[in-house]
Amino acid sequence: MDIGFLGQYVVNGLMLGMMYSLVAVGFTLFFGVLDIIKFSHGDVLMVGAFAGLTTFFGLEAIGIESAWIQLVTIVVVSCVLTGILGSMIGKYLVLPLKSAPALNTLLITLMAGTVLRECIRLFFPDGSNPKPFPSLLPSESYSWGNFTLRLDSLMLLIFGTLVIVAISLLINKTKLGLAIRAVAQDGETAKIMGINFTLVVIVTFAIGSGVAAIAGIMNGLYYNEINFDMGLLLGVIGFSAAIVGGLGNIYGAILGGFLFAGLQTFGAVALPFASAYKDVFAFAVIIMIMAWRPTGLIAERTSERV
Amino acid sequence: MAIDGQLEVRDIYTAYDKADVLEGISLNVVPGKITCLLGSNGAGKSTIIRSILGLTPPRAGSISFGDKDLTGLATHKIIATGIACIPEGRKLFPKLSVEENLHLGAYQETSKDVVRQRIEQVFEIFPRLHDRRLQLAGTMSGGEQAMVSIGRGLMGAPKLLLIDEPSLGLSPLFVKETFKIINKINEQGITVFLVEQNVHQTLAIAHYGYVLSKGQVVAEGESAVLAENSEVREAYFG
Ligand SMILES: Nc1ncnc2c1ncn2[C@@H]1O[C@H](COP(=O)(O)OP(=O)(O)OP(=O)(O)O)[C@@H](O)[C@H]1O
Ligand SMILES: [Mg+2]
Repeated sequence: MDIGFLGQYVVNGLMLGMMYSLVAVGFTLFFGVLDIIKFSHGDVLMVGAFAGLTTFFGLEAIGIESAWIQLVTIVVVSCVLTGILGSMIGKYLVLPLKSAPALNTLLITLMAGTVLRECIRLFFPDGSNPKPFPSLLPSESYSWGNFTLRLDSLMLLIFGTLVIVAISLLINKTKLGLAIRAVAQDGETAKIMGINFTLVVIVTFAIGSGVAAIAGIMNGLYYNEINFDMGLLLGVIGFSAAIVGGLGNIYGAILGGFLFAGLQTFGAVALPFASAYKDVFAFAVIIMIMAWRPTGLIAERTSERV
Repeated sequence: MAIDGQLEVRDIYTAYDKADVLEGISLNVVPGKITCLLGSNGAGKSTIIRSILGLTPPRAGSISFGDKDLTGLATHKIIATGIACIPEGRKLFPKLSVEENLHLGAYQETSKDVVRQRIEQVFEIFPRLHDRRLQLAGTMSGGEQAMVSIGRGLMGAPKLLLIDEPSLGLSPLFVKETFKIINKINEQGITVFLVEQNVHQTLAIAHYGYVLSKGQVVAEGESAVLAENSEVREAYFG
């Protein structure tokens, strides 16, 4: 195998890892504050991507052509709308079920995800077909032998890293983050401290969902295509990544995301004759890791939650 | 007529599932004083604290603090009226540092300077916490955890402090120390509502007391009088 091709795989793997991590962080945040699995997360991501695309159409329609303004607006509008969607799911579907068995929350969010998916498929113009996503990032690329680094990939990687750093700072260095961690460890005592429990939960849902929207837009920019069912696989992968990293721990989620992408990439390199099986390979390894460490790589006992 | 800074609990009934744990409790916590609540295990003492804090809201009756009606308020709004709690069993955030735990005690205080000052004050009372401010609370000894919990209760500079069995699980020496500290807190002007099983030492520092049994107040009075009360003697002094 040529070193240049290998480099290509690495960049691709990092990109996937970034997206998976961003999805996994959401799962881990929701589990952290409420001990629940929100299965609509992948579909919320998909709505984020479609909100971005719609914003793009809107900007084109009013004649704003600058790619940078478009990009920033798309990210901001999509994050805000998706954050609102996520907090509504938290407030109206998840919080009311707080004292019900966790299985009920799982079921209701699973159904909510299906509703979102079907709504986009049915009501977005020609929603059942893949939609081209505009390439808004510079298209230059640099080549060294067989290795081509596209500037847009590099920018997405840097942006993704910044988002991850920002979340980690938010959780670990701000007062809101302290409140989120307190609620995650002991919701009732957090209330005694004067923390508005409901508000913290809703804000956490908004943050996790906004981050998913970023993953959705990254996905669109990278593949130049989005699809009404893109959230299904991304959701399952993000969920697996969060679990394998140790649910409730954001570093675990990030580790899990990159691990899964690494496995997929390794599968594609090692099984070139059958690279279509890379997902099967990655999930199989995840299953083995789970059998080996049932509570995830960074077990909750030994690490700080959220 | 609302008395400024007085907590008034009027005829509350509180249930967890169906059966009432509290059956018509009424009591007053007089401003500037230490009021205690005695009672055996399962009498409903912690449930009274939970009712006041809105964690398990009463299904009937009312609670007010000064001129503010607390009935039905969310817990964070009740805290905002100037109430803090040192809960039963310390309830520290085990995976947060000592300092972060203290910060949470002043969560509603917006001025960073004020929070920093209060942390310094807590470190003056418990110099040991200063040395261990970055340690995770869950890895502290029982006595140190008690200090963090008391310190955290003071961080909000409350008008009224609810303390639920602070002596639980402490060595006799530290229990004595704890009562001294509670007395000192009260002397600084903080009203204290103290739930305890340690009858002697509690009545020694309290001004007024209530005795709870099976969800009802069975005796009340000035501490000195209560100590002589035959029912109390029977129940506690054997
Ligand atoms: N979360 C709960 N759910 C159901 N029942 C509860 C709950 N908490 C307390 N109880 C019940 O309410 C009654 C009173 O409990 P409470 O904790 O108020 O007693 P206590 O006087 O504080 O006792 P202790 O001195 O042991 O702390 C007990 O019978 C207890 O089993
Ligand atoms: Mg109790």
